[in-house]
Amino acid sequence: MTDKRIDNKHKQWQDDYKKMLPDDKVRSNRSDIKIKPLYTPEDWDSNRYMDDLGFPGQGPMTRGIYPTMHRGQTWSQRQLIGLATPELYNARVKQMIAMGANALSMIPCNSVYRGLDVDEVDPILLGTCGVTVNTVDDMARCLDGIPIDKMSIGLNDPIPFTMLAQVLAHAKNLGAPWKKLTGTSNQSDYISHFVANHMFYRIALKGSRRIQMDQIIFLKEHCPGWNPVSIVGQHMQQAGATPAEAMGLTLSTAIQYAKDCVERGLEPDAFLPRFTFFFDISISFFEEIAKFRAGRRVWARLTKERFGAKDPRSSRFKFHCQTSGVDLTRAQPLNNIARVAIQGMAGIFGGCQSMHTDGYDEALSCPTEEAALISVATQNILKDEAGMTDVIDALGGSYYLETLTNQMEEQIEAIIAKIDEAGGMFEAVENGLVQGIIGESALAFQEKVDSGEHKIVGVNAYQIEDDPSLRKTQPWPDPDVMKRQIELFCRFKEERDQTEVQRALEDLVAAARSDDQNVYEKIVQATISKATQGEIISCLREEFGFGHPLVMA
Amino acid sequence: MVESESREAIIPRVLVTKIGLDGHDRGSRIVAAWLRDSGMEVIYTAPWQKIDTVVKLTQEEDVDVLAVSSLATDHLLIPKLMAALREAGYQHVKVVVGGIVPDADEAILLDSGVSRVFHTGSTKEEVVQRISEFAEEARKAPAVVTFD
Amino acid sequence: MAVKKNRPKPWLKRLLNGDRTVLSRAISVLENETNEASAIIRGIYPHLGNAMVVGFTGSPGVGKSTLVNSYIKLLCEKGLQVGVIAVDPSSPLSGGAILGDRIRMAAQEHLRNLFIRSLASRCHVGGLSRATSRVVDVMDAAGMDVIIIETVGAGQSEVEIAEIASTKVVVCAPGMGDDIQAIKAGILEIADILVVNKCDLPLTNHTNRQLKAMLVLREALPDWTTPVLNTSAIDGTGVSELSDAIDEYKGVLAQRNSDGKDKGKKRMLRLLANSVADKVKKDLLETTSLEMDSICDAVLKGELMFNEATNRVIDKLLSHQ
Repeated sequence: MTDKRIDNKHKQWQDDYKKMLPDDKVRSNRSDIKIKPLYTPEDWDSNRYMDDLGFPGQGPMTRGIYPTMHRGQTWSQRQLIGLATPELYNARVKQMIAMGANALSMIPCNSVYRGLDVDEVDPILLGTCGVTVNTVDDMARCLDGIPIDKMSIGLNDPIPFTMLAQVLAHAKNLGAPWKKLTGTSNQSDYISHFVANHMFYRIALKGSRRIQMDQIIFLKEHCPGWNPVSIVGQHMQQAGATPAEAMGLTLSTAIQYAKDCVERGLEPDAFLPRFTFFFDISISFFEEIAKFRAGRRVWARLTKERFGAKDPRSSRFKFHCQTSGVDLTRAQPLNNIARVAIQGMAGIFGGCQSMHTDGYDEALSCPTEEAALISVATQNILKDEAGMTDVIDALGGSYYLETLTNQMEEQIEAIIAKIDEAGGMFEAVENGLVQGIIGESALAFQEKVDSGEHKIVGVNAYQIEDDPSLRKTQPWPDPDVMKRQIELFCRFKEERDQTEVQRALEDLVAAARSDDQNVYEKIVQATISKATQGEIISCLREEFGFGHPLVMA
Repeated sequence: MVESESREAIIPRVLVTKIGLDGHDRGSRIVAAWLRDSGMEVIYTAPWQKIDTVVKLTQEEDVDVLAVSSLATDHLLIPKLMAALREAGYQHVKVVVGGIVPDADEAILLDSGVSRVFHTGSTKEEVVQRISEFAEEARKAPAVVTFD
Repeated sequence: MAVKKNRPKPWLKRLLNGDRTVLSRAISVLENETNEASAIIRGIYPHLGNAMVVGFTGSPGVGKSTLVNSYIKLLCEKGLQVGVIAVDPSSPLSGGAILGDRIRMAAQEHLRNLFIRSLASRCHVGGLSRATSRVVDVMDAAGMDVIIIETVGAGQSEVEIAEIASTKVVVCAPGMGDDIQAIKAGILEIADILVVNKCDLPLTNHTNRQLKAMLVLREALPDWTTPVLNTSAIDGTGVSELSDAIDEYKGVLAQRNSDGKDKGKKRMLRLLANSVADKVKKDLLETTSLEMDSICDAVLKGELMFNEATNRVIDKLLSHQ
């Protein structure tokens, strides 16, 4: 564009700006991109429209992966819920469904994440953050009366996917065909667990890699409506990666998993449509939107260029997102409602397919019921009152956002190149490269907070006197209720056919030792035979090695 | 010996660890780096340490301060840790907890002998200064053994 | 000092019985060289010389810690008391350190007969090896059968620390060409046993041959041929062979010291020699003298050969005493 008027006026504005604001400070976002005070057609002009944006559902996918986006279908409100016992969980899910939730999700107790049954853990820790679901019987009580073949189910279910095995076993007992089930294994990304969320990391890298592939192959045949792979950028961003790093590292992980699938003889168009992503949304509003738009573009390109995908569904960057708990403060906790709303907006403008908004009390304790209800209401307000779903990619075409999207894309590509050079994500995490990057970024961000360069209301700015009465916390689970759950568990274990359990676990071990048997199939069968998740995971740890993270300080 | 120093003046040793089930380590990594950058020696562990392992580490590494990070609910185990430390004769070691601890639980922790709970949002200055003061206090405690 | 042979001090009695609290605090005292250090050194002296001291060294990434872990496990299963000194570098800026070696030993924490202590290098020349040597002694007195010294990273301090060990194991990984060059430059000379770890990786045999070829260049000893072993710490391949080789070398050492007179004197001589060299170097570099100036000049112009100049400097230093 060679409009003389623009040049002249631009120059004049620059002079005025400098005169009025001579000591304007350099500002940069979390990905360390310098932010200018004004963006104009010099930064991005609409002649680039077809190259950079195109139309929703078409390459380069920047504006959204479906032609209709939120006009056609709003995102799934996938609130993570986990209450202490299956009965409490069941009651809460029914309440959420009555309030309009159209998908269900399940967070297990931290003891489950560690692969421990209720009788292996100090009872004081049980059920404090999620539901203690150890057996097919527990799962049946969680899902009692819920039409599982009509709801999309999201499970926080790391490798070896014992919760999904319980759902499949439950469905089998009900006579519900597996082919009708839909849902996602939200926490299948063992690489992200190895790097950044060690609680979910159960089985040593090589074993996790094997089980992940076996699960993909098993579900492709028996439960094709299930998304086996969700690649999780959330943990890395929570651990300190910048938004650009989190996106780049997540895409590198996706590349790794796709390569592993190809190595197992799968056609890219057979598995890529079932890849989904899971991201953190920080409060860095424009940066997050740009992150999602850039990520969508990079994924669309690399599925075609690297993997030769032809099916358009392979290039759709489907993602779930969760508002970031790291941005929430303990000080003045009600302020977090405002923060979550802004983070949620970034998710919507970023074009999400599914979203979880955090309770405002996340920095205080596990969410109270009140906070959980407010967080659902927040989504409904954004969706139904504020008109945020009226226009697809409503901020597209903004000089700033388009420039930022391009800059984020550059950074994302640079990260991917760095990981490629290190031999791919698997190797880059094994030797600590990724953990090093994330640790440095975490420290750098903390320094900005300490120096006051990055302001956090109530923490390093606008502090007011502490009011402890604002900090309501979720009471810990009733010890009697937990005791009953432990008793039920022990009775379940006593009453089952022990020889069948033994045989099923032996089959599992044999499969793990073999090269050609499907380990996941045996996990499902062992669950049907009433083996507990603790038994299954400890068997696999014995065979494949315990998941020790590479701990770096 | 030429270079004699009093016990109070020597480099503080701090054990930074996590007990229980959770594995989020952003906080413990940052605190470890802060303490190192302030001239302390930090013994850093993997998450999921058992209580008796923490006692063993406290003993073998002769630390002055034990810093436990808790972001989920693992702080509920701290009173048991305090009892185990006392039983092993390590009551001079100062224990601090950092992370997400509800108010009611904070009172229980302080009652059990914890010196301080650092909540999210604590600054480097605050954390480093308090820990170095605690280290100094620990060094001033009657010696567990004297060499004559 | 009055001789009170029949009444050992309470702390010494506890230490000799393997009391972990006393051992741990004694290490702190020796490391910091606080007032009580000389009492400890005097107290333990008659009780030294029982432990086998094994140093493990090699570049980061060769899987050294995992290998040490497997070796520890094997020793503990035999019922031996094992002490480990894990050395990490201090930050040259703050003097602080993060001692993370523990984490790599995580799998071993439950072993009752294992005592691990992390040491920071604390950035002082000679000081680290002096401290490490004292820690070895006090662990020895406390009844450790085997004391393992493990260091992180390569460099001068690594060689220095390794010299404290009577048996030095140098670990490398297959196919690390540059790494082998680095080893050749310093550490290879001190190796009593060489290990190619991660032998499940390709190029293992190639690396093994390369190392053997380099050893040929080294002066042969009459009583010991440095073995080059392949190990895989992950599945335990070769670990018992490594243990056997260490034991065999222990026998050789015992032969060399068959008169039983050494009691750490060779190690002390090396420490002293290093310390003297450091001090002389520091003095020479920091003081200006006309005489030194003219010696340098003469060597530069070719009027004096380097060896002659060296001798002349030594004479000069001695004559000043």
